[in-house]
Amino acid sequence: MELSLYEIYKELKFKRIILCYSGPIAQASIEGVGSTLRRNLEIEEAGNTTKLSVFSMFIEQVQNVLNYSAEKLSKTEEDGNELRIGVSVIGYEENGDYFIYCGNRVYNYDIPRISESIEQVRNLSKDELKLLYKERRRMEPQPGSKGAGLGIIEMARKSVIPLEYSLVKIDEEFSFFSIKVVVGRH
Amino acid sequence: MQKLLIEKTNSTPFISFDAKARLLEIKGESYPENVAKFYTPVLEWLQDYLSNDESETTAVEFEILYFNSSSSKIFMTIFDILEQAVSKGKKILVKWICDEGNETAIECGEEFKEDLVHLPFDIKVY
Repeated sequence: MELSLYEIYKELKFKRIILCYSGPIAQASIEGVGSTLRRNLEIEEAGNTTKLSVFSMFIEQVQNVLNYSAEKLSKTEEDGNELRIGVSVIGYEENGDYFIYCGNRVYNYDIPRISESIEQVRNLSKDELKLLYKERRRMEPQPGSKGAGLGIIEMARKSVIPLEYSLVKIDEEFSFFSIKVVVGRH
Repeated sequence: MQKLLIEKTNSTPFISFDAKARLLEIKGESYPENVAKFYTPVLEWLQDYLSNDESETTAVEFEILYFNSSSSKIFMTIFDILEQAVSKGKKILVKWICDEGNETAIECGEEFKEDLVHLPFDIKVY
């Protein structure tokens, strides 16, 4: 066999990964994986707040993929039912806190905008983030933005460590963007 | 005015806006794929309802277990519309209903309340 699933499985186990999803993402897969994730956290007896925070980070991240991934699948240009490609990984750190990662291709010309939106928030205090969140919530949406622009702030508010992210160049057109949030276990 | 009734799905709440009963209910979870598309008819109904001459109190009940950040923005818009109506003399009472075990929902309710001046906003924990 060319593909050793056992090797992949072992690697995921070793990195304490609960769940890994890679490929085309649609709202239906978000709802399905999300509800499985919640059941898993329930069985693990994660507290209510922890459970909801992990789920909420998963939703914010994968809905970002749905809105912004530069890797798309559709039959026609104007097809509203296009799929976007991304990777989502959820697991726990050695100390028991949960990590929630998400990654997708982005256009190189979008890199400054993406880094800026994260750098702006990653070192703010929880109080500053709350103020920014409330301010942004009442602002008119940015042109070209499909979300409320609140997702990144929400991630920074929930994360117990400053948001971590990376941008790795793939070629002249694309880079791979990934972001990590850590939710404390209560 | 015709009642607005939307059945709940995994990612969208049950919505029942009843002009006759003066009761507007939003219950469930809210993380639709396209928030603007889902809530457009809801906002339109609300604007229409508030333009009517109605002097009795309208009860608005939110019982939301989970909502994503884009829904949060829409809820703020709804509260701002209601707040404006109150400033113009309408009687409206918002009830933000949550389970005592759902601290996140309670906190979210408090954060909305902090941003509203005229709109009566009760957080009911059961």
